[in-house]
Amino acid sequence: MSAEQNSPEQRRRKHPGSLAWLRSEQGAVRTRSVGRTVVKVVGLAAVLFWCLFPFFWLIMTSLKQGDRALNSPDIFQGPFGLGNYENVFDQNFHLNLRNSLAIAGMTTIICIIIGSLAGYALARLPLKRKILLLSGVLAVSLFPPVALVPPLYEVWRTVGLLNTWEGLYLPYTAFTLPLTIFILTTFYASIPKDLEDAARVDGATPFQAFYKVVFPLAAPGVFAAAIIIFVTAWNEFLLANTFAPRNPEVAQTVPVAIAAFTGQVEFQRPIGTITAACVVVVIPMIIVALVFQRRIVAGLTSGGLKG
Amino acid sequence: MADHRATADDDGGILVNGDKPPRPKRGGLSERALGRLFVAPSILLMAAVALFPVIYAFVLSLYDYTRRQREGFGGLQNYADAFADDRFWGALWFTLLFTVASVAAEFLIGLGFALIMNQAFRGRGLTRAAILIPWVIPTVIAAQMWFFMFNVTPGFINTVFGLGNFNWLGQEGWATFAVIFADVWKTSPFVALLLLAGLQTIPGDMYESGVVDGAGPFQRLWYITLPLLRPAILVALLFRTVEALRVYDLPQVMTGGAFDTESLSILVQQYVVRTPDPGYGAALSTISFVVILGIGMIFVSLLGRELVLERTTER
Repeated sequence: MSAEQNSPEQRRRKHPGSLAWLRSEQGAVRTRSVGRTVVKVVGLAAVLFWCLFPFFWLIMTSLKQGDRALNSPDIFQGPFGLGNYENVFDQNFHLNLRNSLAIAGMTTIICIIIGSLAGYALARLPLKRKILLLSGVLAVSLFPPVALVPPLYEVWRTVGLLNTWEGLYLPYTAFTLPLTIFILTTFYASIPKDLEDAARVDGATPFQAFYKVVFPLAAPGVFAAAIIIFVTAWNEFLLANTFAPRNPEVAQTVPVAIAAFTGQVEFQRPIGTITAACVVVVIPMIIVALVFQRRIVAGLTSGGLKG
Repeated sequence: MADHRATADDDGGILVNGDKPPRPKRGGLSERALGRLFVAPSILLMAAVALFPVIYAFVLSLYDYTRRQREGFGGLQNYADAFADDRFWGALWFTLLFTVASVAAEFLIGLGFALIMNQAFRGRGLTRAAILIPWVIPTVIAAQMWFFMFNVTPGFINTVFGLGNFNWLGQEGWATFAVIFADVWKTSPFVALLLLAGLQTIPGDMYESGVVDGAGPFQRLWYITLPLLRPAILVALLFRTVEALRVYDLPQVMTGGAFDTESLSILVQQYVVRTPDPGYGAALSTISFVVILGIGMIFVSLLGRELVLERTTER
């Protein structure tokens, strides 16, 4: 944690060359450097505005009280209060949170366990038709979930998996496995092979070499993959809305509930309740995203990018 | 068995040259057996929950249904109905339009963001943190948020741009625009993240020599940055295209599929839940599957295949 916090300092120390190059270039074209700085600042401000402003709007709206305030376009129009948040939990939203936590949690656990085995096998172990396997994994990652909707609905209806946690986390696992396998294969491949060879020389079996030496070293990658899987499963809507559209007591997830909030007046969506529910869901996720920023970015980009 | 042992040793010879350490025999499985054992659960699960349903959907699509009651074998009648259905063509058109427009806009905006962030030494960490926020927000929430911002009441966007009671979500064309805009808001930062990672691998002296040779900023962008960024661009485009073709959440929440914003996913879901007809729904889902996977595969074989495979096998 502390290493992450003082990392700007470390980065500056690590790349003195690139900074020196920047300074010398700025010195050479000093007349234009002021203009450039302004452009940079404006650019950064634009990026920040793009990412943050709608979220700010969401928070302000969720805090407004009463019809008049909520129907006013002015984001600073009061009165403000926490009434909308009380409404959210009157509608059993905590049960939706529980369902989503359970389903996304199960997806993450299963995915990490079987995905890290497959990733290790693909990165390290001798396998026949490795290219074919990887192509198959890639094909599944291109797979449109909508293709599953009619057949799985029929099967789930017969087997009784509609409106259950299992009915959702099984397909989620299948869909997030390809990404998990790609991320983890890259991570395993980046661990020096000598370590394993050393373990072998010391008499470890291949399996011991995997779970005692390689798996602990791949922990940051596994962690990044876990966050990405969790977020993906947490946000899924199509299958959740088809296989468990109602009943927060059973398996209705957060996105489905947010899409389905109804107000007293028909055709009028309860803006205050919905925005409050959105904030309740989004704040923990933003905290997680900010705390584990570096790992998430590394995981997202290594999935397809870093060589 | 003896054959297997021989091939295993041959493979091992490539990895460990010359004097190889004694292969441990006691207790543990051989590497090849372990490899199969490790891959098996993933393959089985993906086959059971992804591959099998697609085959089953094709079987379903050959039957004739009234509501949920099977009436008999219908052959390819469901497919004929689908191709004669204007709603299907409308959904296909919206899905393709949405994909092309949103991916193009996300690429341009994402590239702009990535270039800005790559230029700045101060504030890059802060911006990179901020950029994760749209990514982490569930699409349904982004959809609700933009629904309210575009909606006539409270009419936030209309007030900011002084448009009075302009009904964005209640007319053809502008509803499509609003849906595409919401998607661009949510995923441009993600594209920027992927492109920024690519930009950071370009060595600084490339630009230095570009400056020495008298290249202006746009020439440097065109002749140095973009060619070197090609792999990152291809991966970002591939990911986004495949995702955009699946679009469901945004139009479902923002317009319910009205005003020409019905995507293929919404259409299929309709025939499963709201007006159940498993046969017709399965035919539509099979067609969508072929279209979406087909486009994805073309994309992969044209542009991305070597990239993704090389990376994961070679290292």
